[in-house]
Amino acid sequence: MSPDGTATPPRQNLPATLRDPRPGRTTLGRPDDYLHAEHTLRSWLWTIDHKRIGILYLLSITFFFVFGAIAAGLIRLSLVVPDGQIFTNDTYNKLFTLHGVIMVWFFLIPSIPTTFGNFLLPIMIGAKEVAFPRLNRTSWYIFMAGALFTMADLVIGGVDTGWTFYAPFSTTFSNTYVLPALAGVIVVGFSSILTGLNFVVTVHTMRAPGMTWFRMPIFVWTMYAVSLIFLLATPVLTITLMLLVMERAFHIGVFDPALGGDPVLFEHMFWFYSHPAVYIMVLPGMGVISEIVPAFAQKKLFGYRFVAYASLGLASVTFLVWGHHMFVNGESETAAVAFSVLSFAVAVPSAVKVYNWTATIYKGSIKLDTPMLYAMAYIGLFVIGGLTGLFLATLSIDEHVHDTYFVVAHFHYIMVGGTALAFLGGLHYWWPKFTGRMYPEAWGRVSAFLGFIGFNATFFPQFLLGYMGMPRRYHNYPPEFQLLNVASSMGSLLLALGYLFPMIYLVWSLRYGKRASANPWLAKGLEWTTSSPPPAHNFDEQPVVDFEPYDYRDREARV
Amino acid sequence: MSASAIPAGPVQIGVEIEEQFHTEKQQRHAAKLGMWIWLATELLLFAGLFLVALIIRVQHPDAVTPAARHLKFAIGATNTAVLILSSLSMSGAIEMSRMGWQRGTVRCMQVTAALGTIFLLLKGFEYYKDFDEHMMPFLAWRPYELAHLPASALFVDDYYVATGLHGLHLTTGVAIVLVMAWQVGRPGYLARHQNRIEVLGLYWHFIDLIWMIVFPVLYLLNR
Repeated sequence: MSPDGTATPPRQNLPATLRDPRPGRTTLGRPDDYLHAEHTLRSWLWTIDHKRIGILYLLSITFFFVFGAIAAGLIRLSLVVPDGQIFTNDTYNKLFTLHGVIMVWFFLIPSIPTTFGNFLLPIMIGAKEVAFPRLNRTSWYIFMAGALFTMADLVIGGVDTGWTFYAPFSTTFSNTYVLPALAGVIVVGFSSILTGLNFVVTVHTMRAPGMTWFRMPIFVWTMYAVSLIFLLATPVLTITLMLLVMERAFHIGVFDPALGGDPVLFEHMFWFYSHPAVYIMVLPGMGVISEIVPAFAQKKLFGYRFVAYASLGLASVTFLVWGHHMFVNGESETAAVAFSVLSFAVAVPSAVKVYNWTATIYKGSIKLDTPMLYAMAYIGLFVIGGLTGLFLATLSIDEHVHDTYFVVAHFHYIMVGGTALAFLGGLHYWWPKFTGRMYPEAWGRVSAFLGFIGFNATFFPQFLLGYMGMPRRYHNYPPEFQLLNVASSMGSLLLALGYLFPMIYLVWSLRYGKRASANPWLAKGLEWTTSSPPPAHNFDEQPVVDFEPYDYRDREARV
Repeated sequence: MSASAIPAGPVQIGVEIEEQFHTEKQQRHAAKLGMWIWLATELLLFAGLFLVALIIRVQHPDAVTPAARHLKFAIGATNTAVLILSSLSMSGAIEMSRMGWQRGTVRCMQVTAALGTIFLLLKGFEYYKDFDEHMMPFLAWRPYELAHLPASALFVDDYYVATGLHGLHLTTGVAIVLVMAWQVGRPGYLARHQNRIEVLGLYWHFIDLIWMIVFPVLYLLNR
């Protein structure tokens, strides 16, 4: 009860001493948060508030994710039978291109940076806004224009090149609508560049007084590292795809040998972006896990500085390993050995992170709530995905499993088991902050388990298939592979449920969920010091940071 | 508005602080840093084309040299000088805007835009000469001068893509300089948005810098 005898408002239901590092504010009877500031559609579509832009991105990428997931489901359906009788070969090729293009370019790459990054990065460093709010809105419009255009092209016309657009197939031989798809992907690249630019400038210039570089949460560090990759890699992709467009449209030969070009040059230029893009997808997930694990172990993140440096280390090393996609393409032996060694080096910063998370959990007071379950699933799957990556970096083994389902399983362990689960974990973790509502915990746990089990059931058989020699992208396979393929398809049903449940109960919670307090997890970090949902300018007064990151108190002071 | 109506100055200069910033210094820092980062991405965009040019040169030296000899060295060199001069006048505009010399700023920006236009006209003339010498291999209906050296077409194509993309950037730059020159001539602009001229200056110098790489990589290296 508050001093004047009125009922305690839900956001105040924690003793002030627990709402660390400084008390949240009273929002009694006065919903002035960013969600309630204005209600018109125009106020959403024309907003420059980084939090609303984050929500717009959340809705957009969920929309794209659903399309990509449906395509994945149809692919698995088709592979239930070995002779490929469910779809024509042509339709199958278009389906896996649709799945790849949408999932990579319009879901995984923008997913965590544009949603959680936009929403949380300014709050986590104590800023009112990103440095360029109107540019931020522009980048959402650019994203939507490019992504919707490409998706319309993929759904109505169809493209059969795969998401990698390898030349000369994409420039000369494919009879599908490659040009519009390329145009859309180029446009979306500019959106990535602008987001990265905004984040880098924001981190450099907008930090609150006292927020030094080594007081920034790891999530901010990973956003910074990802932004650097966006900025350094995306332009190379842009010019590469522009050259593809020129070759396809005007027969300006660069990659097609018939026109005098060099197809391996395309692979070099493409993977110079697209391998770092893997870390665009993975690093933000690592940032999310680095926030969740200390909060649910109520323990300081182990080796904070090493995790921060590991983020930058990954962002650097990732630019030096693109050649491992070309081990079987006639690369010189010297180059292949160099790329192989450098690819092994990626394991070092990755392992630093995994060890630090597990060391954080060690002797913590662990709460196995939904976000923590997702984080645990992430760590386990990331380890499997990472270790099988070492198989692929080994030249002799890569000869055997290159372009098989082993590779498919490996990168799905990293991207779906890693990024998509981290995305769901982060979504649950910050859902109270985004919306001011709690989700139903029991359903959350069920979904986390379904996702984990379904994921393994879908993709573990693919490791076996790949090792036995089933090539990727093929529509037909020998009948002896049917059992494992059926197992994989059954697993994808469970996985689909693991995605479907959160979509339903999170929407349900918007209206019926319990109201969230400012800091429901007793977590540290500036985002938990402001109300849930935050006010339009994030904080009532500019925060001054006089505490270290992940400043979880000693054991006896914990609840 | 007749040009003579622009006061010579000095007028008051300053920066209107946007909502998200706390101080003018912070805003100036953010704006400049933002432009520098954008320029770094532009450099990488062009770097792909330079890479292609260098790889083609290493792989097909016999085909690239005759193709490069067809490039108009005199026009390229003149254009280099024109762009250096335009950078000089852009620097003048920035310095004058810092002192609040409104009319001088506008004049300098107009000179910058004029020099940029001269570059584009010379470039256009060079393209015409290329066309005249049958150096456009991507035109299927027109015979190509060096058809006996297929790899030379790669270099020539890369030349068109690189110089075309640079020309596109320069055209954009000229348009922005002209619009901003008109804005600077209006009363009160320098008092509110002086730093925009500095940011534009960064962009302009950078387009010149790109040409300083295009010129040696395409024109000089292969002669």
